[in-house]
Amino acid sequence: MADGSYLQLDDVVVTQRHLPDREPVTIAGVVTQVRARHEGAQFDSDVFAIAEGTLPAVVQEAAEITTTRVDPELYVPPAPGAIVHRASGEARDAALHFDRMERRIPMGTGRDGVPVFLNADFLDGTRGAHVSISGISGVATKTSFATFLLYSVFRSGALGADGANARALIFNVKGEDLLFLDHPNTKLDEATRAGYKLLELPATPFSDVRVYAPPRAGDSSGAPDVSSRLTGVDTFYWTLEEFASLRLLPYVFADADDERQQYTMVVHSVTAHLHRYSVPAEGGISIDGKRLGSYGDLVDHIVEQLTDDETRSTWAGSAVNMGTVNAFARRLIGSKRDLARLIRGDLAQRRPHQIKTAESAQVTVVDLHNLPDRAQRFVVGVTLKTEFEEKEKAGTGRPLLFVVLDELNKYAPREGTSPIKEVLLDIAERGRSLGVILIGAQQTASEVERRIVTNSAIRVVGRLDPAEAARPEYGFLPPAMRQRALLARPGTMFVNQPDIPVPLCVEFPFPAWATRKSESGPPPSDTMKSIVQGADPFAVVGSSDDDIPF
Amino acid sequence: MRVFVEPWDPSYGASFEGGGSGDGPASTSSAQIDTDVEVPAAEWAPIDVSDSVQPPDVVYLVDGVRRIDAGLSTAEDDGTSYAGLAASFAAGVVRCDLGRGVAELVTAKVGRGLFTASPSMEDLLAGPVRYEVHRIEGPGEASKLPVAVQRPLTALEILISSEARAHGPEGYDLLVVDGPLRARRQLPRTIGFIKTQEKLYLPAVLNLVVTRLTAGQRTPVFHLGTAWGGWTWYLRLPGGSSAPWSGIVRVECSPDLSPEMAIELADLSQATLPRFASSAYKDPRAPQNLVPIAGLERRLRGMLGDSRLLHRALTKATVRSR
Repeated sequence: MADGSYLQLDDVVVTQRHLPDREPVTIAGVVTQVRARHEGAQFDSDVFAIAEGTLPAVVQEAAEITTTRVDPELYVPPAPGAIVHRASGEARDAALHFDRMERRIPMGTGRDGVPVFLNADFLDGTRGAHVSISGISGVATKTSFATFLLYSVFRSGALGADGANARALIFNVKGEDLLFLDHPNTKLDEATRAGYKLLELPATPFSDVRVYAPPRAGDSSGAPDVSSRLTGVDTFYWTLEEFASLRLLPYVFADADDERQQYTMVVHSVTAHLHRYSVPAEGGISIDGKRLGSYGDLVDHIVEQLTDDETRSTWAGSAVNMGTVNAFARRLIGSKRDLARLIRGDLAQRRPHQIKTAESAQVTVVDLHNLPDRAQRFVVGVTLKTEFEEKEKAGTGRPLLFVVLDELNKYAPREGTSPIKEVLLDIAERGRSLGVILIGAQQTASEVERRIVTNSAIRVVGRLDPAEAARPEYGFLPPAMRQRALLARPGTMFVNQPDIPVPLCVEFPFPAWATRKSESGPPPSDTMKSIVQGADPFAVVGSSDDDIPF
Repeated sequence: MRVFVEPWDPSYGASFEGGGSGDGPASTSSAQIDTDVEVPAAEWAPIDVSDSVQPPDVVYLVDGVRRIDAGLSTAEDDGTSYAGLAASFAAGVVRCDLGRGVAELVTAKVGRGLFTASPSMEDLLAGPVRYEVHRIEGPGEASKLPVAVQRPLTALEILISSEARAHGPEGYDLLVVDGPLRARRQLPRTIGFIKTQEKLYLPAVLNLVVTRLTAGQRTPVFHLGTAWGGWTWYLRLPGGSSAPWSGIVRVECSPDLSPEMAIELADLSQATLPRFASSAYKDPRAPQNLVPIAGLERRLRGMLGDSRLLHRALTKATVRSR
């Protein structure tokens, strides 16, 4: 670099190559590596002689550029010694292919402080779908980026009516971070507001959010089990009748190692038996003439029937040995503690209690953080299955449904199979045409089912673990960027999208919505109504400013 | 007339230095000397650096490098043949500003010359590079040609030495020329720095004073009566081995100066040069090859250009001219 000029990582540069017989070729690229050294120094200790003023040396900076675009597509090298300019405005847009994006979703700013965009075609299923976000938990800000991306989809207007009508289903796995999406953030400062303005986004919380939480354990009224958010939270549960008729029993056995066991066939025959012979009875079910009012009762009844020699064959089929039945029974009994609060026979059936994004708000948050592992798997599995089946039935790709799921490595591990993994694979492979977009986050992409990662058009990386960064799943990162990912600060992500040959380094703004109780402003007016009633019968879906109607 | 580039020879592309590293003077000189300039010869003893001497903040160091790019031979129209030498040479000035801690290349110039006795040889254009003809008197044997390169190089060194000084307004500086002063003696506040001692100038008794010097000490100034002589003194640089002549350099200044001025320069050199001494593991010619000079030579060699490229260009140019 010439005296007095400098380049930093991620700067966009452009140069021209003049050719004898045609128009000049514009070659653009991104700085992926910078270095400075003393030219004239042979030994490291020569720096002392240089600093002392006895050895003549020149400080020389150099930058390595990765080409992003050659326009027109005549692949000639740039001439050595050609002058390179830092690109701005249209030249920068062209270098990063933003000019070819018909619909662009702002996803933050580059290191140069200018907005960076995501091609909507690769998000909404037009040419690709699904997002895979990897990074160390805590510092990689995976969930924050996922929510910011959703916010940008809803508010930027890039997707037109699709964006406004799109729904989001967010599973809150850790803490109560995502329960305040509709509360303004009191820590929002002018600089952050300016950041939002630069991206042409309003700095407001999500406008239409519905939060679902599981019922409090041991509480017969079915009040939601949340501690910090007190208003606008609905309880979700399944009635015993739904459990039987919707064949939900396999989702109780959703561990990856469950599938390898012999008792899978027992699971399926019991599921079928329940489906065929159970009769709804005031919230509970009645089977074999016996009324069952709780999940515990149901488990006890099934175990009793299976251990009884006379009834075993009607429940489990004839060719099942006792060891297998016992293994099944042991696990079923083990699930009682985890699932009793979710599968109920004592709560009103008509009361809305199911998670259905189509009837819910724009953003549906399902709080799982208080649930034990088995219950989390059950909720995620059943909810995703239900939603996906709804979409399949509707047969149209609109409205779009974004599913945000953290710890994807738990639900769709690389090894083994489970009902949840089947659903997630279905979404990854067919969701694109059905308008179901998976935004999956995980600490380690290497431990997630490969077909899910490869089906993700957009790959995002935050701070990575050094051993993880060396794995082939991150092959899209150039070596220098891989090194940088080890040091990435919270709020910095590397985003790879199919039509830009280099991942872009993105800094996204601090959330305009509260991420914890301490920074949450006053709740939006329409969440107050849930103090009065869990679901407002007069509410128009998607309306936001209606006050309490009575 | 036709010109031919000699086939490749390992010595082409190598730069050459005058003299070897040398453990000590090999022969005795018969030059007239006057050893009573600073102190009477009988009282000669090592002189320590004086506390009252204020070393200059700015020191200029001048050096040049030479390289043979190709050996040529000509076929004259009358059937005779002459040897020729295409050489590149460069000279530069480093300005060491010890006050600010900056050493920088002030000026550097590259010259290329075609050294031959052939009367019909003209400038040779090899690619973008022009080799200017320097006609040699006499028969011009190939073995005499490398020495001839020194003359234009010295001229170049004088030119850039005065140029470098012209920029700086500072009055209190010192110019160190690598090698004997010779034709550069008219430059003000200038000392010549002779790295290798080939001849013994002093009588045996006084040579004992030289070998007794410890690092940083110098001998008294004495006068050398040779054609290029002048005021001169020995100085031992730090960092040498314990061999008697290791680290000994001879410094000289113009004979046109008064003895007092020569002694002042001797004091200045004693306060300045030891700082620049190089260390053995970095430079085989340590400590005499001063750090700024070594750095300068590396830069200058870089500026000479790629020798293989020039050899090719010369070959092409001569082939085309036939």
